[in-house]
Amino acid sequence: MARGEVIIDYQICMGCGICVQACPFSYLELSRYGNDPYKRLYPELEADHGCTGCGICAKECPLECITARKKDEKKDVPLS
Amino acid sequence: MKGYTGKILFVNLTTGHIEERTIPDQVYEMLLSGVGLGAYVLYNEIPAGADPLGPDNVLGFTSGLLTGTGSLMTGRWMVVCKSPLTGGWGDANCGGYFAPAIKQCGYDGIFFTGIAEKPVYLLVNNKGPQLKDASHVWGKDATESEEILIAENTVKKKPAVAVIGTAGEKVSLIAGVCHDRGRIAARSGVGAVMGSKRLKAVVLAGSKPIKCHDPQAVKEISQAFAGKVRKQNLPGIVKGGFLPVMGKVMGSMKRVAPLDGMLFASLMKKWGTPMSNGMSATSGDTPIKNWAGSVKDYNRSYYSKINADHVIKREYRKYHCYSCVVGCGGVCNISDIGQGKFTHTHKPEYETCAVFGPLLMNRNLESIFYINELLNRAGMDSISAGHAVAFAMECYEKGLITREDTGGLELTWGNAGAIIKLVEMMIAREGFGDVLADGVKAAARKLGRGTDKYAIHAGGQEPGAHDSRFDPMMGVHYSVDPTPGRHTIGASQYYNMTRLWEKVSWAPAVKIYPKDEEYMATDREALKSVAGACYKQIVDGIGGCLFAQITGVQHWQAFEWLNAATGWNKTPDEYMLIGKRMQTLRQLFNIKHGIDPRTFKMHRRMAGDPPLKEGPLKGRQVPIDAMMKLHWKHFGWDENTGVPLPETVQELGLDQLLQKG
Ligand code: SF4
Ligand code: SF4
Ligand code: SF4
Repeated sequence: MARGEVIIDYQICMGCGICVQACPFSYLELSRYGNDPYKRLYPELEADHGCTGCGICAKECPLECITARKKDEKKDVPLS
Repeated sequence: MKGYTGKILFVNLTTGHIEERTIPDQVYEMLLSGVGLGAYVLYNEIPAGADPLGPDNVLGFTSGLLTGTGSLMTGRWMVVCKSPLTGGWGDANCGGYFAPAIKQCGYDGIFFTGIAEKPVYLLVNNKGPQLKDASHVWGKDATESEEILIAENTVKKKPAVAVIGTAGEKVSLIAGVCHDRGRIAARSGVGAVMGSKRLKAVVLAGSKPIKCHDPQAVKEISQAFAGKVRKQNLPGIVKGGFLPVMGKVMGSMKRVAPLDGMLFASLMKKWGTPMSNGMSATSGDTPIKNWAGSVKDYNRSYYSKINADHVIKREYRKYHCYSCVVGCGGVCNISDIGQGKFTHTHKPEYETCAVFGPLLMNRNLESIFYINELLNRAGMDSISAGHAVAFAMECYEKGLITREDTGGLELTWGNAGAIIKLVEMMIAREGFGDVLADGVKAAARKLGRGTDKYAIHAGGQEPGAHDSRFDPMMGVHYSVDPTPGRHTIGASQYYNMTRLWEKVSWAPAVKIYPKDEEYMATDREALKSVAGACYKQIVDGIGGCLFAQITGVQHWQAFEWLNAATGWNKTPDEYMLIGKRMQTLRQLFNIKHGIDPRTFKMHRRMAGDPPLKEGPLKGRQVPIDAMMKLHWKHFGWDENTGVPLPETVQELGLDQLLQKG
């Protein structure tokens, strides 16, 4: 069971992939189609991820649209 | 904490020795990272006259200074080496995810010297670097090799891989270095150098943080830029058919007006570079029939077949390089082409479509998709390969080569089947393909018979698919850049959108002006081309994308990002001086290696000698000799020889920096 998870605001995210490259475990992947007309892909946690909620991806997102949290604590990790 | 790590990795493939080296802060302040760091290392390390395919050549992979700082569209990496194609400075640039991966391993660049005894690859992860046996992937194409190397080396983090295909292994002088299943650092023959070193791949899986001076300030600039790109969308009624019409208008304009470059972002978001397929064919921007034809030849019944809307019909997802909010790339379904040999391919770039379309009078778009995947897997530069085929077709038409030479291939213009076959032969270095596999200059030398008349190149490198008779400043850069024949350095179109004059005191401001002025060798035009070249060096020093650059300095704020990331607090003029220093160092590299800059002048046909008789470029001629002189003069280089003047070298502090190296 993953200890953490991320919540992405897809209204703001532009699919730049910085978070994907930032995750030290490569748990994020660009695999989700959004509502834009361009067929862009947006990041999401892969199916069998083991996200720790460490918040590295959130810290690096330039548009500040990811929140990471540790599941047990149910508490958001501050962005930076 | 200035965005760079201050360290490089230096690998001797002959001895297997790997060492970490510290680069002084002064180097970054004087030359940035990326191509500037590469030039610093290579100038000092490669002995004069070294064989580009020998052990003394140094091959480097560098990231940009702004890569990974939270800035946007700064994720491009550079490959640098002495070019076997031109004999001088070589570099090539690629997107994808490799640039941040270099920094996440703790380095700004990774450099290789020597030659390995057997094929090897370099793996770097959080435990450090090691050379590993690559015999199991040697002989495999770039995509397959990459998949194997990723699978083998994924422990926690999925690695980013730079890899050569079979073209690089066979030391084809037009081979590049591949990444992410078909992105390619294509130019300068960098893949041949990698192949000559028996270095199959560089596999990077580090996860160190990338730190900069003021990440919050960087983010604020990023958010402002992203917001503008998000809003920039074409109205729904604008369809692909609009592009050739727009091209026609551009080709007939007597006056030029600078546009807001953000408009360009909306076209790129929708179509990517193939937006130019139909537009540039009608405007005169695309060279047709080996630079001797016009849109009268490649008429509507041709260009309508390769127009952007047909290209994106196959696109099922976009592709963004690291940190890109535009996303000009795409992935296309090609499972119905070539008996299903391939399932998908990266969307072919405009350059590929143009050199395998109009340049060859080919209107078979499916063949272009197929060739795109063949070349991406082999790791061969499409621009050079297309020009090599065009050269062969013109020689065939003129009777200088026959079916006996071509192994029975009917090399008539537009013969898509023959084009595919010839590309396959070039990749395999088989029969006549072997003659073409090192580019047009080498092919003409091998064939003799006066074929050099039809070998279109500048200084040994085939030009991009942008006609210098349409944009003469493009021709200046084809002829004066230390890597000649490159379409990414500068052009009037780029200059007008980049709007340097809004921030740089000496960059000439552009308002509406007569198109004819672009064809005049004036101080003003020269200053524009100098400013363009200086800024492009900065872009290549920070890992920037050309398509971000041409949205304009008011939107994509490279100077401001640099100050936020480094804390240097420099003015745009001071950064432009860095750009000038970087360009001068690249030129000094060429001088050190015995290049006479005058020999880089583009093929006479590219300057309109003889002039075209039809089409939008009818009668257009470019006074290239006078333009080159003025460009050199305003760079502080000898206006007659192109050699940087001693006082310029001193003023730029290069004499001191290089002595220390
Ligand atoms: S870094 Fe932020 S904007 Fe970029 S893809 Fe990830 S969530 Fe989206
Ligand atoms: S919170 Fe940490 S583990 Fe989870 S996706 Fe983000 S970077 Fe990866
Ligand atoms: S605009 Fe295209 S080439 Fe440039 S960074 Fe974005 S996806 Fe890559």
